[in-house]
Amino acid sequence: MNKEISNIKGALWDRIAVTIIVMFFGGFAILTWFKPVSDMSVEERRKLKDKPSFSVEKIVSGQYMKEFEEYALDQIPLRQNFREIKALYGTYVLGQLDNNELTIFEGHIINMEHTLDENSLEYAANRFNTIYDKYLSDKNINVYMSIIPDKNYFNGRDYTLKYDYEYLVEKMCNDVENQTYIDIFSLLDLEDYYRTDPHLRQENIVDVAAKLAESMGTSISTDYEQVQVTKEFYGTYYGQMALPVKGEEMSYLTNDIVSNCTVYDYENNRDIDMYNLDAVSGNDPYEMYLYGPLSLITITNPKADNEKELIIFRDSFASSVAPMLATAYNKVTLVDIRYVSPEYLGNFIEFNEQDVLFLYSTSVLNNSETIK
Amino acid sequence: MIFSTITFLYYFLPVALMVYFVVPSALKNLVLVVASLIFYAWGEPKYVYLMIALVIIGYIAGIVIHKYRGKTLGKVTYLVSLLLCFFALGFFKYADFFIESFGRVTGISVKLLGIALPIGISFYVFQLVSYLVEVKRENVAPQKNIINMFAYVTMFPQLIAGPIVRYNQIEKQLVSRTYNLEKIRAGITRFALGLGKKVLIANQLAELCDIIKASHDKSILFMWIYGVATALYIYYDFSGYSDMAIGLGSILGFNFPENFNYPFISGSITEFWRRWHMTLGGWFRDYVYIPMGGNRVGICRLILNILTVWMLTGLWHGAATNFLLWGLLFGVILLIEKLWLGKKLEKTLVLKHVYVLLLLVFTFVIFAADNVGAGFEQIGGMFGLGGLPLSSLETKYYFRSYISVLLMAVLGATPLIKDMFGKLKKNISEKWLAFVEPALVIAILALSTAYIVDGSFNPFLYFRF
Repeated sequence: MNKEISNIKGALWDRIAVTIIVMFFGGFAILTWFKPVSDMSVEERRKLKDKPSFSVEKIVSGQYMKEFEEYALDQIPLRQNFREIKALYGTYVLGQLDNNELTIFEGHIINMEHTLDENSLEYAANRFNTIYDKYLSDKNINVYMSIIPDKNYFNGRDYTLKYDYEYLVEKMCNDVENQTYIDIFSLLDLEDYYRTDPHLRQENIVDVAAKLAESMGTSISTDYEQVQVTKEFYGTYYGQMALPVKGEEMSYLTNDIVSNCTVYDYENNRDIDMYNLDAVSGNDPYEMYLYGPLSLITITNPKADNEKELIIFRDSFASSVAPMLATAYNKVTLVDIRYVSPEYLGNFIEFNEQDVLFLYSTSVLNNSETIK
Repeated sequence: MIFSTITFLYYFLPVALMVYFVVPSALKNLVLVVASLIFYAWGEPKYVYLMIALVIIGYIAGIVIHKYRGKTLGKVTYLVSLLLCFFALGFFKYADFFIESFGRVTGISVKLLGIALPIGISFYVFQLVSYLVEVKRENVAPQKNIINMFAYVTMFPQLIAGPIVRYNQIEKQLVSRTYNLEKIRAGITRFALGLGKKVLIANQLAELCDIIKASHDKSILFMWIYGVATALYIYYDFSGYSDMAIGLGSILGFNFPENFNYPFISGSITEFWRRWHMTLGGWFRDYVYIPMGGNRVGICRLILNILTVWMLTGLWHGAATNFLLWGLLFGVILLIEKLWLGKKLEKTLVLKHVYVLLLLVFTFVIFAADNVGAGFEQIGGMFGLGGLPLSSLETKYYFRSYISVLLMAVLGATPLIKDMFGKLKKNISEKWLAFVEPALVIAILALSTAYIVDGSFNPFLYFRF
């Protein structure tokens, strides 16, 4: 009799346990099926996969299944929450030192890329030398190079993995011919970078721009007004790492000279502003500086007290430095050879007695396959 | 389809289970077959026809073998059906391996066929062979209902990575099985544990192995971590899958055989193989080793029997030289234990475990290597060959980063946690357990989903077998 009662109770508790699980699991499954499709992941800054179109050919070839798997991964409800759960569990429960190869040091999210790719450095140097040979070698042009360290250079965590930055600089200096190297490593520290993004805070690098200008024989304005555009900037590393962190302030620097500069975008044949304030509310607020990734733009400074021109071969890091350098020149041309082949530059730029600056971050030099 | 995907967990499985439990008993096997064919075709649309053809061959052959038992037609049918099964396995899995090996030995260049391996062919062919042999031996009656036959071979929980369910183990359950909440609850918990083993441990260990293989900063210690992580990864990957399969089977009303029983606590390699992939070991014992004479033969024949079985076991795991070597190595070790070392090991307390664990690390490094040369290079690295330093910066970093996962994996490979929960279960009231257990299951499901959503590394190792 007692055993029978025990069994009946057992069945009741089994029913309760199974019901709880089925309700959670089934409820989430139903949510998965009927959740409206999202277009974008703001945190990851990418388009999410849409429901795949159905056809017999795609079924037979297996393409439909492949697309559906991607769709299911992208469109799962609470996607960002799940990514945060993984990041929190990995970081605080397992004590892992990085999540998706991103780590946190002194409140900064840092990409811990640590393997130096010599082939990549050589390729970048080779492309710079090609530009020199094609456009600069027979002109009276001063060529400079400066390298911006990525945040991992300042990573002081225990067990930090980082590559040999001294070697990187030395190799680039040896491999890129006919340039004068401007060292800015000593002027930078971690606080000069955004906490959630790889890029530099413009308001903290006036000294860097000044050093660059001074090394090229000119000088920039040193007085700027700092205009805050948001207190809720979340950079690219925030979305990649998925750990919940606070947003941060974002500002730009301006003064009378900067605000009078005119900027022309050759890629889209249009006049643009120095700072694109619409980008602040977009997917990548850092695109506020000179409209982000554009292949060829010129900044003309009508208030310049000289006729000097500067051509900057650059990556995205230069976007926040260039407005300050523009105060020292009559005209600054920014060329991003990741988006335009150097072969065509002669159609747009007349190389003649300008200063030329190769201004690149270590992360682009170490992943230079994107350079054309 | 892979268990540890969003598609399986939140699309396929809920629909399949819902329909399965809604339809009357008479239709349940049909639902199971349709679901299983969709499950298989999802990952392998072309080869689903091959599987269907082999099941039909097995079904007809079983009836003919039984009807004409002792007669020529029965014997011929038995032989032809077995040949067809093994031809399908041989052609799709081993043709290129043999062509390549032939070319390497003779120096004659023959173009490879470039055939893609049908997922799970090693598992369902072995199940079919088991059925045919058992019918021939008259241990079971042939299955007359083709739906039941399809259900036996193609049942999605064990279709692509086992356990290898023998027909006699499941014959009665195909016709009549009991469903109760206790079994369903146990099945759900087992499935969740298996999913956690796969996603939260095996995938992390596999990531660590890949990091070490790609590292430019290797060290002796790093290579030892690689060896340990590789052995544990293979265990968690495969046993995790088996747990999920057994759990799903339980939810569906079946009792699938166990496949792993804490193999790493073994005191000898002989014991290890009684605890590791038990359904495969049993298959080879009953259908190859014993028919060859087993133990009751002279020493030369015994050596031949054991080496044959282990060569086949190695090849079953993959059409590559490292799998062949891996199998033969175990054959040799088992022979040494049988003829000399076994009794000596029994007398030791700690040494036998050190011996087993070291051998497992070395053999699994060979198992997981891209080729034999790479395997030996990795083992050499453990002893400093190639001038590796004792430690390195990357060794410290990744050891520190993965120590929790490694410790969890080591602990989980012993019965310690299971025993702890067993005691806890006895001391906690049923009432509390009815809430604690679902909470644990939901936590594992949520965490596994989080890792699936944010991670890209999610292969199942045993798919290629």
